[in-house]
Amino acid sequence: MRSSPKRKLSHDAIKAWRVSLSILILFLVLGLFFVWGYKLLSPESEFFSIWTLTAISVILVVITGLGIFFIPEIRWQRWSYEVDEHEVDLQSGIFIITRTLVPIKRVQHVDTRQGPILRSYDLADVTISTAATTHRIPALNEEVADQVRNQISEFARLAEEDV
Amino acid sequence: MFELQRQHPAAALANAFDIIRANFVTILILIFVGSGGREANFTLYWIIGTFLFLLIWGVISWYRFEFSVEEGELRIEQGVLVRKKLYLTSDRIQVIDISAGVVQRLFGLVAVEVKTAGSSSKEAKISAISRGKAEKLKALLRKKAERSDDAQKADPIDHRKVYALDTKDLLIAASTSGRFGVALSVVGVAFSQVEQLISEEQMIYFVESIIPRSTNASMIAMSIFAVIAIAWLFSFASTIIKYYDFVVEVRENELLISRGLFERTQLTIPFNRIQAVQIKEELLRQPLGYASLVLESAGYGESEGNSTTLFPLLARPQIYSFINEVIPDYQTEISEKSNVPLRGLRRYLFRMLWISVPVILIVWSSIPYGVYSWFLLVPALLLGYQQYRDAGIARGKDTVVLTFRLLSKTTAMVKKYRMQSCQIQQNPFQKRLELSNFTVHVASGNQGRAFTVRDIDIAKAMDYRRWLSNGRESESNTANEGDRELLSEDSDNRDAIQ
Repeated sequence: MRSSPKRKLSHDAIKAWRVSLSILILFLVLGLFFVWGYKLLSPESEFFSIWTLTAISVILVVITGLGIFFIPEIRWQRWSYEVDEHEVDLQSGIFIITRTLVPIKRVQHVDTRQGPILRSYDLADVTISTAATTHRIPALNEEVADQVRNQISEFARLAEEDV
Repeated sequence: MFELQRQHPAAALANAFDIIRANFVTILILIFVGSGGREANFTLYWIIGTFLFLLIWGVISWYRFEFSVEEGELRIEQGVLVRKKLYLTSDRIQVIDISAGVVQRLFGLVAVEVKTAGSSSKEAKISAISRGKAEKLKALLRKKAERSDDAQKADPIDHRKVYALDTKDLLIAASTSGRFGVALSVVGVAFSQVEQLISEEQMIYFVESIIPRSTNASMIAMSIFAVIAIAWLFSFASTIIKYYDFVVEVRENELLISRGLFERTQLTIPFNRIQAVQIKEELLRQPLGYASLVLESAGYGESEGNSTTLFPLLARPQIYSFINEVIPDYQTEISEKSNVPLRGLRRYLFRMLWISVPVILIVWSSIPYGVYSWFLLVPALLLGYQQYRDAGIARGKDTVVLTFRLLSKTTAMVKKYRMQSCQIQQNPFQKRLELSNFTVHVASGNQGRAFTVRDIDIAKAMDYRRWLSNGRESESNTANEGDRELLSEDSDNRDAIQ
């Protein structure tokens, strides 16, 4: 799409996404190990066939590879946003590209949130809520996130006044 | 004038029914699950027990409910386990609804519901008092409110416009109801339950005695026909019950909608809460030239706001005059209109193909004579073509009009200043064809509602987006150009360091 918004997410977002996905996958892998172990110890049980298990393992490996090594990079490249006194403009998506426009006047509240992984990279999400929808700008630098949040709320206040 | 008093004892019954109605689905599920495999007697005891318990609960809550009007305040004391006192000043009371459900009608009584505005509002409902008392109560609370608040004047009676649904239209609405589909699935599920209740031998016996010499094919045809007929009857009845005596009253700054056969429902929708208007042309109604109007409203007072039927059936030529008189804000002169370009047609057709082919394959492989399900492809593709024809986007002075069809054609009208957000989506296939999906979100109830037009030209989509984003018509916003530059530079530096 032409004239994409200009600002990018923090480059650390890639690392943070990798870590959070790795943790999720770790749990899946652990679960899979249990099943494999069970299968190998009692091969005659009818619980999952060996082929299903192999297929699941292969799929998991592929997903892990894509999810950890490629997707975060592409996701970061595709994410951009922009805030001005009229609107919040977001663009994201790996296959399906979504371009979102939120008029500043409609913003009900903005907040920043931070989980443990984001915190360790000094990152934070900015969440923008309207009466109908919620939008998220993920993994911004902490200071930038604060700045964006304050900016939106300030613009929203100004916009409210001239309505 | 109104000393501390209790409601009419019928309130006990009304309360019990209220609880049953509020938890109807839960109770049904409990009964179905609870009776699974056990004797019918047990279920019966269970139902009677529940009902007795609710009745006793109703009696106690009736006993514990007392109300009075003192010093222009409606005072209610209630609560079975926790005693609550509710004082409502008449200044704050926004809506006083008088309605009569089945129980109330049985005793010639009414229920009075008092609503206040504001986020921390409380709702008070007196579920059974005589009509005379209710009117007196209303007058008492209203009078105070009017005296203290001139702005909230009572509407002059001659100013009101009232629209009612006549019997002929009600019957047409009922017989072409869009709930048909819902009813169909319910009846379908019910049929599959019947199979469990009645053993196969009984079934065969029944079939052989009633319709001897029936072939397999005619059996299937007949059962399909039976399901459709029953579903149609259900939807017919439920529409009549819901929309019986439908009346819209236009007041100075609100709409008052009342409807219902057994239970009269009254809805008050202030004009400034209306978020969007939809014209729905259902599949069965469109060929007859009828459509219905639906409003989306944001929350106010206690009510959450939602989709509300503004009028269940209008002949197409009447629609615009109706809009003009009832919700004149939404009378729009279309200044620009664009449809889906021809290159989008194949996406519409393919979409229907992808949806219908798996269904056909499943049907083909699972039931006898399933081969004929390939004939479904024809209506599916026709539907796809019709969806393509109908989809479009248009704009007037400050209104954007989105037209799209799933089964029924919907025309959604959204005021520019009511839009909550707008989204353009493009998948790789659409990118190649330079098409995109255009979505507008409006507030409605808790979740909000989205209207999407698929596969419109990307340039058009961006144009509309720009038009929606600007407060004014002008395209350039040079005033904040510097601002934007500064902002992005600032952030680029900050992030580029990483």
